[in-house]
Amino acid sequence: MYKLVLILKYLRRKLAPMFAALAVTLCTAMVIIVISVMGGFLDLMRTSARKLTGDVIVHGDITGFRHYQEMIDAIEALPEADAATALISSFGLVNVNGHVVGAEVVGIDPEKFDNVVQYRDTLYWTSAHFLDMFRNDAFFTGQPPENQPAIEADIRTYEQNEFRDFGMAFKPLPHGEQLPGCVMGIEVAPTNLRNKQGKYKLVESRTLGHQVTVTVVPLSAKGTLGAYEPARRSFVIVNESKSGLYDIDKSRAYVPFDLLQKMLEMERIESPHFDPQTGETLPGKKVTPARATDIMVRGAPGVPLSQVRDAVQRATDAVVNDHGGDRFPFVMTWEDRHGVLLSAVQNEKGLITFLFAIISVVAFVMVATTFYNIVLEKTHDIGVLRAIGGSRIGVASIFLGYGLAIGVIGAVLGFGMAWVIVFNLNEINLFLCNKFDVCMWKPQTYYFDEVPEQINAIEVIWIMIGAVVSSVGGSMIPAVVAAMTDPAQSLRYE
Amino acid sequence: MQLHATNLHKTYNIGGGDVRVLRGVNLKVESGQWVAVLGASGSGKSTLLHLLGGLDRPDDGSVQYDGKNLFNLEGGTLDRYRNAHVGFVFQFYHLLPELNARENVLIAAMIGRSVFGWPGARDACGKRADELLDRLGLKDRARHKPGKLSGGERQRVAIARALINEPDVLLADEPTGNLDAGTGEHILDLLRQLHAGGQSIVMVTHDQRISAAADRRELLIEGQLQHE
Ligand SMILES: Nc1ncnc2c1ncn2[C@@H]1O[C@H](COP(=O)(O)OP(=O)(O)O)[C@@H](O)[C@H]1O
Ligand SMILES: [Mg+2]
Repeated sequence: MYKLVLILKYLRRKLAPMFAALAVTLCTAMVIIVISVMGGFLDLMRTSARKLTGDVIVHGDITGFRHYQEMIDAIEALPEADAATALISSFGLVNVNGHVVGAEVVGIDPEKFDNVVQYRDTLYWTSAHFLDMFRNDAFFTGQPPENQPAIEADIRTYEQNEFRDFGMAFKPLPHGEQLPGCVMGIEVAPTNLRNKQGKYKLVESRTLGHQVTVTVVPLSAKGTLGAYEPARRSFVIVNESKSGLYDIDKSRAYVPFDLLQKMLEMERIESPHFDPQTGETLPGKKVTPARATDIMVRGAPGVPLSQVRDAVQRATDAVVNDHGGDRFPFVMTWEDRHGVLLSAVQNEKGLITFLFAIISVVAFVMVATTFYNIVLEKTHDIGVLRAIGGSRIGVASIFLGYGLAIGVIGAVLGFGMAWVIVFNLNEINLFLCNKFDVCMWKPQTYYFDEVPEQINAIEVIWIMIGAVVSSVGGSMIPAVVAAMTDPAQSLRYE
Repeated sequence: MQLHATNLHKTYNIGGGDVRVLRGVNLKVESGQWVAVLGASGSGKSTLLHLLGGLDRPDDGSVQYDGKNLFNLEGGTLDRYRNAHVGFVFQFYHLLPELNARENVLIAAMIGRSVFGWPGARDACGKRADELLDRLGLKDRARHKPGKLSGGERQRVAIARALINEPDVLLADEPTGNLDAGTGEHILDLLRQLHAGGQSIVMVTHDQRISAAADRRELLIEGQLQHE
């Protein structure tokens, strides 16, 4: 019983235990914050990556594969898969207002694509942006009265129609050029700049409604270049897409599937049939099936991705076999596809965690030295306790219990501190940024607008256990020293 | 109760030279006796008392408590001997500074009991602690920490602590050595009362007058005891 009483009494003593607990608190908080933020970025990237690929992707090569519609039907019939959509991915040149960039031109069917990867959510501009601009931007509010009716008409249009719907339909804007629509990655246009909060401003956007020219080079099914002329076509930008991965948003343009398929000469072609020997026209038509480069698949909920992948692979292989083909497309999960990128971030998280674990060793040493000093200061008390019947183990366990208490207090406070900081990171950052011009996190530089505010319970539990274990470990040596103290010696003098 | 030291030897080594402090000490203390060990400063009185209390080990010889050699006991049993059968009183009081007077007394009662055993004994021990403090004139000092107490008060708290577990023998190491004459006399009176109540006491001192209170005097000279 005396141990408990003394642990409590010693805890109420002045500075030394407070410093030890503070060291544990700070280290715990630091490790939790770092792991949470890094983990948050990793999760953000993973979510973004998954949205680009779907759960599972069927990938041929740049020349595409045939019979994709049959494959989609087969895949959608699988219990492991819920939805699938075909796309064509090609390389081309995109001319935005005279600014030419090399880009990945992707042909999609927006509704189906959205069904697989929640594409609609990546469309950046919404009616809310326009309404906000009309109502709050000085340019519009400052217009003379005679222009107000026109602005109000615009406001009504945007109130009645969701702007994203235009993007989803690749439909040109009401007042703009009546060309097929396209959706640009939001970083393609050089005029899109972000403010301190990491948001794009509509007023500064010089891209919506503008015309772009997309040039692609068709490839024959055999992959020969130059069999066809480059294909060029004009589109009008109806929205911009922000996937969350900078490299993608900087170099991607979405256009209607059918149009891109035609430009690339990948559509179904029926041509006259000739006899190779005689050169005579034979009855019937020679059919070249349509091609796509990828199929994205959304797995059924709860089914492991590897299982979805295997099922999809079997289904697509069967379709190829049915047609006597010999080129089987690859099937990958989204993690396989983005493995390099993700493992880089994963490694970074691991590395930083390791660095901070080393810093935690400092806390450990700090606890150890603090306790060592307490023991030195308490040799006299230890002698007294031994004289009135306390055992060596009893005396040692006072210091171990003391370490445990400090570890628990430090871990809990550290968790509390980390919680408060992590869930206010963006506010704290903005405050420091505005008040003192100290920006830990610049949304303009980094691609995510916000530092993710999330904490993983399991990681937190492990970190807290680690903090408690190192405090107890740090008090181990002092506890042993306490146990070995010669009581007769320490009682001889005052 | 019988405490019987036989042929105790203890040598300290300071800077290469051996200091033979005890060289064959024999001492027998019977129930109810008050024995004073008189000796010059540095003659080994504290060393002897520590050996009697099982706080230190001799180089040779034995201390028998009711026929059992202390130094053959297991560690746990020896701890219990110090806790329950002897009560130490020191020249420098040796109270725990974080605890108040009452807690300093009670801590000795807690040591013999686990967290689970304590609640059952708590009331009885608390009552005994209050009685002791009362008897030693510390009633309104019970909640004071040692730092707020005078030397005489501290020594009385130390005596209450030594008595809380009703020890067979009180081992007092110059209990008045740090006190002025008046206060020292007061402490001596207390010991007289305890002795009158049947408490066995071994007291070491360098002060002739103090030792006069005991009913037997031994002189510690050149590492050996001489009956006076
Ligand atoms: N741990 C030790 N190491 C060396 N010498 C010691 C030690 N403890 C005591 N001594 C010496 O032993 C002698 C007796 O000490 P002590 O028993 O305290 O004497 P007393 O209590 O009679 O003053 C002293 O000379 C002291 O310096
Ligand atoms: Mg002494």
